[in-house]
Amino acid sequence: MKLKDLRETLRDFWGEFRKVRYGMVGLVMFGLFLLIVILEPVLIPFPETGRRWRDITYWEDNPKNAAPVWVNWFTRKDYTPQAVLDKPEISERKAANTQMVEAVFTYNYKYDLPPIDLLLRATGKGLLNLAVHLERPDGLSIELTKKSIRLSGEAPVRLSLDKEASGAVGDFLKTYEDPDVLRGVSIFTVKPVEVFFARAEPGILRNPVPLKGEYRIKLTCVAVGSGAFLKEPALTVAGRVFGLMGTDASKRDIWSGVIAGTKWALLIGLLTSAVAVIIGVFYGVTSAYFGGAVDLVMMRIYEVFQSIPLLPVMIVVSAVFKPSIWTMILMMCAFFWVGSVRTVRSMGLQIKEEIYVEAAHALGASRGRIIFKHMLPQVIPYAFASMALQVPVSIVYEASVSLLGLGDATIVTWGQILHDAMQGGAVLQGIWWWIIPPGLFIALMGMTFAFVGFAMDTILNPKLRTR
Amino acid sequence: MSEVIFEVKNLQKWFPVKRSLGQLLRGQRTWVRAVDGVSFQIKKGEIFGLIGESGCGKTTTGKLIMKLMDPTGGQMLYRGQDVTHLSPEALQAYKREVQMIFQDPYASMNPRFRIREVLTEPLVIHRLGGNEQEKLALAADALTKVKLTPPSDFLDRFSHMLSGGQRQRVATARTLILSPRFIVADEPVSMVDLSTRAELLHMMKEIQQDLDLTYLYITHDLSTARYFTDRIAVMYLGRIVEMGPAGELIDHPLHPYTRALIAAVPEPVPGRVNVIKEIPIKGEIPSAAQIPAGCRFHPRCLFATDECRNLPEPELVQAEPEHLVACRRYKEL
Repeated sequence: MKLKDLRETLRDFWGEFRKVRYGMVGLVMFGLFLLIVILEPVLIPFPETGRRWRDITYWEDNPKNAAPVWVNWFTRKDYTPQAVLDKPEISERKAANTQMVEAVFTYNYKYDLPPIDLLLRATGKGLLNLAVHLERPDGLSIELTKKSIRLSGEAPVRLSLDKEASGAVGDFLKTYEDPDVLRGVSIFTVKPVEVFFARAEPGILRNPVPLKGEYRIKLTCVAVGSGAFLKEPALTVAGRVFGLMGTDASKRDIWSGVIAGTKWALLIGLLTSAVAVIIGVFYGVTSAYFGGAVDLVMMRIYEVFQSIPLLPVMIVVSAVFKPSIWTMILMMCAFFWVGSVRTVRSMGLQIKEEIYVEAAHALGASRGRIIFKHMLPQVIPYAFASMALQVPVSIVYEASVSLLGLGDATIVTWGQILHDAMQGGAVLQGIWWWIIPPGLFIALMGMTFAFVGFAMDTILNPKLRTR
Repeated sequence: MSEVIFEVKNLQKWFPVKRSLGQLLRGQRTWVRAVDGVSFQIKKGEIFGLIGESGCGKTTTGKLIMKLMDPTGGQMLYRGQDVTHLSPEALQAYKREVQMIFQDPYASMNPRFRIREVLTEPLVIHRLGGNEQEKLALAADALTKVKLTPPSDFLDRFSHMLSGGQRQRVATARTLILSPRFIVADEPVSMVDLSTRAELLHMMKEIQQDLDLTYLYITHDLSTARYFTDRIAVMYLGRIVEMGPAGELIDHPLHPYTRALIAAVPEPVPGRVNVIKEIPIKGEIPSAAQIPAGCRFHPRCLFATDECRNLPEPELVQAEPEHLVACRRYKEL
C-alpha cells in the first residue's frame, strides 16, 4: 500500500517535473555526467589515469604543455598532433643465438610544424644492437642512431630520437645548410627531429620548409645471446598538439584527468551536500519547533561550529591523519551543515506560527507529526536549492584544500588539476586548456544541480503552480 | 437540552509583557490580561455565541478551550469532567471530541496537502478509520455532509484551488470527520464573501441539527450571531459584560457596550448607507495591559458615574430570567 502510494507520488512528480524546461536541462546534464562516470574506461585514452595521475613515467611519452588537437582548425599553420604507431611491418629472422628484428613504421606527415620527438618503445632482453634509419619522402635515407643496450631481464626499451640523433643531425646539416650559418650555431641547440622533417636545402635551420609526405622509420635490432629478443616495438610521434584537451606541464592528458575527476566531483559534491543539508535542516527545524531553552542551547552549539574556520581544522586533520578524500568529506559534512541552519530555523519559526500548525495541534497531532509532516516539507525546496548550491561549494573547497597540498594523492580531482595549473603558471603562460576544462566542468556541475534544484522548487512549492 | 456540555469558571489567561532591565531589577511584572475571569455554561445542542471587538479575548477563550494554551487561572469542565489540566492520553481523547474551525480558511490548511490529506489527517493522528480506502470513504462522506459534491472532484485538489467558501466547508468537514460533540468555530465566516456567509452558516446549522452538535460561535458580527446562535455572551476587555438569549439580547440590550455594538451595525437601508451613525460610545478600546479600575468600561461609557469609576467591578447579575448583565446602572438606562 505504502509502496504503491510512493510509486504514484513519484509518477506524479515526474509528470510535473517534465514540464519544467530548465529542470529537464539540468536532468539531462546530470545524466551526461553519470554517463561520463559509467563510460569512463571507454572515454579516456589512459586507462590508469586514476591510479597513476602523479606517476610521471606513465605520462613521459606525451608532449609538455601541448594544446588540444582542434586548435589546428583555427591556426594558419597546422601543428603535428600526437600519434602512436604500434603496428609496424615486422620481419624477423632467427639464428642460433641471435634474433634479428626489423620494424618499419610508416608515418604520413602532412603538417606545417614538425613533431618535437620520435619515441621508440619496445620490450627486450639480453644484448640488443639497435639501429634506426629514417627514409624521407624526397628519397634521402639517414641513419639516425646506433646503439647497444644490455638488459639482464625482460625490460622496457625506450629511445628518444631527439636525444639520440644529435650526431646524425650534425652530418645532415653539414651537407645541406649554408656553412656560414652553421658556424654560428652550437649543434647542441639544434632539435634533430625538427630538422629531419624539413626540406633539405639551405635555410633548413633558420627557415625550415616542411617536407610533407610519407616517412619510413626503420628499426633494426640484432639481439645476441640465448633467449635475447625484442618484441612489441612501437613508435610515438610526440606532437605539438595533443588529445581533446591538451596536456599540462607534467605531460598529463587533461581530458583523461577531467573525465576521471568527474566521479570524484559527483561523490564529493553529492555526498557532502546531501549529508550536510539533511543535518542542517533537521537541526534548524528542531531548534525552531522547540524554541526556548532548547533553541538557545542549539543555537550556541551552532555558533561554535559556525565560527570555527574549516580550513585550519582540515589542515590539522590532514597533517595528523593521512590526507584522504573520505576524511575530507567527513570534515566538510561536519562543518557545512551550519550553512542551512539559520535560514531553516527562521523558516521554521514562521511555519510554527502558521494557523495550519495550530490546527494540527488542535487535532491532537504529535510533535513528530508536526515537524515531519507540516514543517519539514515546507523546507524541502529550500533544502534542495541549498543542496544544489552546496555541491559546487564542496568541490571548490576540496580544490582549496588540494591547493595547499593536502589533497588525496591517490585520486585526481578537478580541484587538483586547477591547483596544478595555478602552480604551473598556466595563467601567465597562457595555457588556457589547463584551466578552462576543469573550471568549465565545475561550473557545469554547479549549473546542473542549480537547475534541478530550482525545478524542484517550482514543483514542491504548490503555490507557484498554476492550474 | 438542559444538560451542560461545557462550563467555564472564572477562566483567566494573562500573558507576560517583556520587561525592561529597570523593571526586571525592581521586580515589576506587567501582564496582558487577555481573558480576565470569564464564566459561562454551554448547554448540549445549543449554539453559543461569544461576541466582542477585536482584542477583547474571545479568540483566546476559544484557544483555551481547545487546549492550545494553558490558562493562568480558573476552571474548565467538559461534560462534568475537569479539563483544565489533562494528561497526554486524556488530552488526545479530549481533542477527539472537541474540534475547532479557524477564522482564516486560507491559512488553516497546509498548502502542501491535498484535500484528501487534510481530511484524513485527524484519522491518522487518532489512529481511526481503518485502512486507506475506509479513510477515504470517511473523507468523502464528510465532504458530502458539507455539500461539496461530488467528493471525488475535491479530494485530489489542493486547498489553494478552492474558493474561500469551499475551503471553509473543507475545514468544517475536517472537524466533522472525528464525529465530535463540541465545535469551537472561531469567526468561521468573517473571511468569506458576504454572499456565501448565509449559505455556510445554514450548512453549519443543518449539520448541527443532524449530528446533535454543540457550537461555540466566536464572532464580532452581530448580524450573523443573531441569525445563527441561541445564546450570546458579549465580551469586553477579557470579561463577559452581558449574556442572554440571542433575540432578546439584541432586541433589548441592557449593557451600554452591547447597545453601542448593536448601534454600530451598518444598515443597508436605501438613502441611509452614506450616513455615518452617531455611536453611543467614546474613545478606543484600552490596552489589556492596563485595564481601568472600577467598571472596565467606564472610560468609554457615556453614562458612567463616580460610582462606576471608584467602586469595584460589577458582577454579572440576573436582569431577567436567562439574561445577565454586568452593569450597575442597567435599570436606569
